[in-house]
Formats: sequence, C-alpha cells, structure tokens
Amino acid sequence: MANNRRNQSGAVRFVPALKAVLLCTLIGGSCVGYVLQKNKIYELGQQIGARQVKLDKIKKENQILADRYAAMQLPQRLAERVRDLKLGLVPPQRQQIVWISEPPPIAPATNALPAQFVQLNRKP
Amino acid sequence: MIRPGHLRRLFVFAILAGLALAGLGARLYVLQVVKHDHYREIVDDNTQRTFVKQPRRGDIVDADGHVLATSLPVKRVLADPSLIYPYQAEVARAVAPLLSMSEGELLHALRPLRTNDTGVVYTNRFVDLKRKLTYDQWSEVTQAIAQVSFDVDEEFLSRKERMFFRNLRRRGIYAEEDFQRIYPSGRLASHVLGYVQEVERILTNGSSRAASIEMTGIYGIEHWLDGKLKGTRGWRVTEMDRRAREIVVFREQDVEPRPGLNVTLTIDMFIQNVVEEQLAEAMKKFNPKSACAVVVRPSTGEILALANVPDFDPNFPSKSDDWSRKNRVIADMHEPGSTFKIVVVSGALNEQTVTPNDVFFCENGRWMFKGKPLHDHDNGYGNLTVEGIITHSSNIGSAKIAVYRLGEEKLYDYMTRFGFGQPTGITLDGEIRGWVKHWKKWDGLAVSRIPMGHAITTTPLQMAMAMSAIANEGKLMRPMLIDSLRGENGEVFVKFQPQTVRQVISPHAAKQMVAALKTVPAKDGTAPKAALEHYTVAGKTGTAQVPGGKAGYIPKKYVSSFIGFFPADNPEVCISVLIEEPDVKKGYYGGQTAAPYFKAIAEQVANYLKIKPDRNDSLGETLVGGTNSAPVNGVAARRP
Repeated sequence: MANNRRNQSGAVRFVPALKAVLLCTLIGGSCVGYVLQKNKIYELGQQIGARQVKLDKIKKENQILADRYAAMQLPQRLAERVRDLKLGLVPPQRQQIVWISEPPPIAPATNALPAQFVQLNRKP
Repeated sequence: MIRPGHLRRLFVFAILAGLALAGLGARLYVLQVVKHDHYREIVDDNTQRTFVKQPRRGDIVDADGHVLATSLPVKRVLADPSLIYPYQAEVARAVAPLLSMSEGELLHALRPLRTNDTGVVYTNRFVDLKRKLTYDQWSEVTQAIAQVSFDVDEEFLSRKERMFFRNLRRRGIYAEEDFQRIYPSGRLASHVLGYVQEVERILTNGSSRAASIEMTGIYGIEHWLDGKLKGTRGWRVTEMDRRAREIVVFREQDVEPRPGLNVTLTIDMFIQNVVEEQLAEAMKKFNPKSACAVVVRPSTGEILALANVPDFDPNFPSKSDDWSRKNRVIADMHEPGSTFKIVVVSGALNEQTVTPNDVFFCENGRWMFKGKPLHDHDNGYGNLTVEGIITHSSNIGSAKIAVYRLGEEKLYDYMTRFGFGQPTGITLDGEIRGWVKHWKKWDGLAVSRIPMGHAITTTPLQMAMAMSAIANEGKLMRPMLIDSLRGENGEVFVKFQPQTVRQVISPHAAKQMVAALKTVPAKDGTAPKAALEHYTVAGKTGTAQVPGGKAGYIPKKYVSSFIGFFPADNPEVCISVLIEEPDVKKGYYGGQTAAPYFKAIAEQVANYLKIKPDRNDSLGETLVGGTNSAPVNGVAARRP
C-alpha cells in the first residue's frame, strides 16, 4: 500500500511539475520571443532609416548629375566648346542651303481599294 | 498588552503617515494631472525631434526644355562648439580653407561661450558656418575632420575620452540639407526669370520648433509663380537616442515634401541669346543709356525673347543696382514717336475714312495747326498718299489724317483698342500702363501731336503687341510668357492657351496697313537697313525726343526704335528694338540705329526657326526641282 501510495503520489507530483515547467517555458518563451521580435523591429527600423538616407543621397546625386548634364547641353556652353576646341562649326550659310519645292498635295484618299485587292476580296 | 499611550502614539503616527501619503498623493496629482502638459512637453522635447523637409523648388525651362533656373542640392555647414572645445584651433586649421574662411574667423565662430544682447553668457552650441557648400566640398570637409590630429594616442584613451573624440568628429561640425538656386545661363533672360531670396522661418508643431530656410521669389517669373514653384514642405516627427540617432520605430509622422512645379516658358534660349548679343553690339556701337528688344509670335502672342541691357546676373542679384534690374520692356515708358503712326492710319483705314491711295498735302514740311507749327523731317513733302505717309513717316500727313478723317474721340478709341493706357496682361510684375489722357481732357493740339507719338507714353511691349495685332489680321493678343506648368516627371498640370484680347481692326484694314508698312524697309522708306534678303519685312521706325528741360524736350536726346515683322504676308515673328538715348554723333534715327539690329536678329531667327522664305526671286539659284514661281515650302536640305 505504502509503495503504491508513494508511486501514486510521485505520479501526481510529476504532472503538475511538468505543467508548471511547460507554463513557465511558454511564458518565458513568449517573453524572449517578444524581446527578440522587438529587437528585430528595432534593427529593421534602423536598416530602413539607413537605406532611406542612402536613397535620399543617391537621389540628390542624381539631381546634381542631371543638372550638370543639362548645363552641358546649353546652347551657349556648346558654342563655347566649339570655340575652345576650334571645331570650326558654324550655322549653314545661305549658299549651303538648298530649298526644295514640295510636290502638290495628293488627292484626298477614298475608301475604294486598289484594283488588285478588289479582285482578291471578291466573293465567289 | 497595548497601553493607551502606545495607542495614542500609533494614532498620531497613523495621522502623520496619512498626511504624508495625502501630501505625496497631492503632489503626484499635481505632477501627473495638473502639470501634465508641462512635463509632457519637457519629455517630448528631450526625445522628440521634428525635421522639416524642404521641397525642391521647380525648374524654369525654355520652350525647348533647356534649363534656365534650377535648384541644386547643397549642404549648410553648422557647428556645435561645445563639442569641439578645447580643440578649436586644430579644427579651424584643418577646415577653414575648405570653408573659404580665415583661421581666425573660424576660431572666433567656434568660441565655447557667447554673450547675448542682454549680456548673459551662454554655452555656444550652434553656429551657422557656411551655406551653399556643394556635396564635393562637404565630402572634403568631412575627410579633413576625420584626419585632423589632436596630439593624443586615441588607442590608449578611456571610453569617455574616446566618445568625446567620436562626437567631436561626428557632430562638432555637421551639415544639413539645403538647396541653391542656380541660373546656369547667367545673365540670359535675367529680367524674365528674376531671382530668389532666402528667408528663414521658425516652424512650430506643438512643443517642437524647427528652423527652415525657404527660397522666395522676389522678381520676374520667380516671383509671379512663386506659389507654384516653391512646392510644399514635408516633415518628420521622430525620437532620437542619446547618440542623436533616429529610432525609426518611434517615428510618429513622416510626410514627404511635394516638389514645386516646373515652369516651361515660351522664351526660346537660342533666340534670347541672339537678341542679347545684338543688344550688346548696339550698346557698344551707339553707347546708349539702355536698349531693349522683344520678339513676339503675332498669331499667338508668345514671347520668344525679351531682353534688356544693362542686365544683371540672377545668381548674384545683390551685385546689381535697381537700374540694371529694371525690365524696361514693361516698366519703362517713352513717347513712342513715329511708330505710333500705325495706330492713326490703321484706325482711319478701319473706319474707311481713308484708302491707301488717298492723297494728303504735307505742306512741304511746315504746317501751322492752331497757331503752332508742326514739322516733317528733312525738307518735308508735298503730296503724299496714305501709304506714302507711312513710307516717309510724315508727321504732317498723319496729323492731317487724325484731324480731318478720324477726330479726337475715334483716335482715343483706337488708342485704347490697341491696348494703350492699360497693362498688356503679361505674367510679370511691375508692368505699367503707360499714360493716355482721355480725349475730353485733350488740349486742341493733342489730336495733331499724338499721331506722331507725342503727348502719350507707351511701354515697348505695348508697341510690340500693337504691331503684332496688325500682323495678326487685326487681332490683339495677350502676351504669353508661360507655356505650361509641369510635374516632376514632365506631366502637364496646366497648359496655357493663347488669348485674344479683341479684334482691333478688320482683317481688310490690317492687310492694307501691312501693304503700307512693307514700303518702310524699302529704298525710299525710312528703314532700308531693316530689309531682309529672303523675306518681305513690314515695319515702322520711331525716333522720339526725350521730354524735359525748359523747351519741353531735351536737345540731342532721342529714343530710337524699329518694330517690324516678317514674312510680311504670313507673319511668323514680330521684333521690336528700342535704343534709349544713343550717341547722336553716331546716329539717332530709328532707321539708322535700331533697324540694323532688327535685321541682324531677324536673319538669325529666320534661319533658326526655318521660316519659309517669301522672296523667291533672290533664291533662283538655290531652288531645286521647280521654277522660281513654284511654291517654296521651307524644306531645307544642306549641301554636303
């Protein structure tokens, strides 16, 4: 009897202990998980911030380069380059321009198909 | 056994403890409830930061998309001297040359203590060292600070000392984002573009305060469209850690700025450049007080170029004076002189009280009207047709048309219909309306003086628009300077359309007027120097005296002008050139001074715009595939 009681009482004590351990593990795990997730959120936030700064910097550099490119395309700047590099480029002189008379306007188009297509579209 | 004495003591103690607790509770209530807002503010102030995000000011581009004004990202360099002390000398030595400052100047700026206006000494934590530093320059500054030596072996320092040097390098001298307004073409179209000025604003958001430097348009298009160009500010409310790094997860508000709209002008940079070069030539040759020119497309009222000399560099507006910044095309008025004859003759032709072939006796150069003489230049003329009056610019002939065929009321009516005495409606500030007296207040002489451009003042733009109305079959257009407003990616937000002000004269009268004006740049006319080889020009010269002095007009001071358009029968471009007070020894008639510059501008503009020539006779040799009488439709092929 005594042995049985001991065995029984031992079994009874093991289950609550297991439950307690599980509960503690669950609560502890949740807490650790919460902290880890919080840390992760913080880290990701910092990464987002760093990337935003980088993106902003790249955008501004892009803007600077676009402005530099636009400035290089200015007619006066191009004329200066032509002068500096002694390329001898000048606007075409009147004698170098040939004026070509345009042919008279074509008669307004009609819906009629050309003869060869008319033949093909005819129903048997 | 508890004695009564013990009970009493216990009771007293309980009361005291209760009172103490009540006191603490009350204090807690005061701190947590009554002064909640105050302490909340302090807490927020310690952790929260508000950053203002400046929007990028929109670009101003020409009709071809060439940039005339843009905003470049730059850095604003600031310092916290409290983090640099006691190494100001080392920092100043390394950084001063890169900030274009003397070492002494920088050392003074970085002093750790300052005294305010009331004599209170405080720690110096903020110094605005330099604005508008380019990114490249800023990277040089950061490199210089990273390499500066403080004569200590930083490996053997304590953690606190290492932290001090890290803060010094990172936050001792730091930079904020800023923009700089750049005008890449310098002086080109400066009177149209205008310029901006920086204004510092303190923005508050609850307990947070943030300083923001904004660009505000002061003049020209920059001012007129300031609200569209400047965009909308963005902001970020966030929390910082003790190393002044942002804790991104605690960001409360993050609103991106909205960049300003880009403005596309009708101005063409090439034509503007041509006009400004020619005006510079005119300044060199005739040494006038000023010169200005405007190029208009008559059919739409689009302004292709608007230039004044002297001019200014909008990159450095403070280096110029008011005189240089004045846009004379819209803000200066003169008696127009003979160019005003177009109004009188157009009016009479429109009223059909004259025909181009009607003859007027021009009194051989001297006509007494109401006891006062009126003269023609040179030796005067005898009989002249209406067309001849325009060709020779006869004052007496035009006065007779006004006096006998038009009358005071009708003359005044046509003056106002052509837009004189009222602003043209150009989208620029500072336009004046000129001076036109109501006909009921005229003295008896005015009707004979106004036809030759006296007793009235106009702006050069009003005259150009009036001439454009004749070129445009009698339709007066509103001058158009802005083509469209576009977004960041080129999408069109607003597209401006040409606006007709009114039909001033009939197309038939306009045609008759054009025929008369075509005779001006001819051999017998007043402006043979305005004639073009491949295009028929219609135009009018003007030579007005400058009012002032005892005699009413200052001797040897003139305002010379020429306004013309081409091809005369199908006008593409109207050009007005005005030269104020040229050196009389070198010439002062409009035909001598302004007309050659009209020609120089017109030739280059015609070539650039590929305008179809209308004088085929001179092209006989270069025509291919047709006779001289064949229509030439402006298709140009360049010979190899």
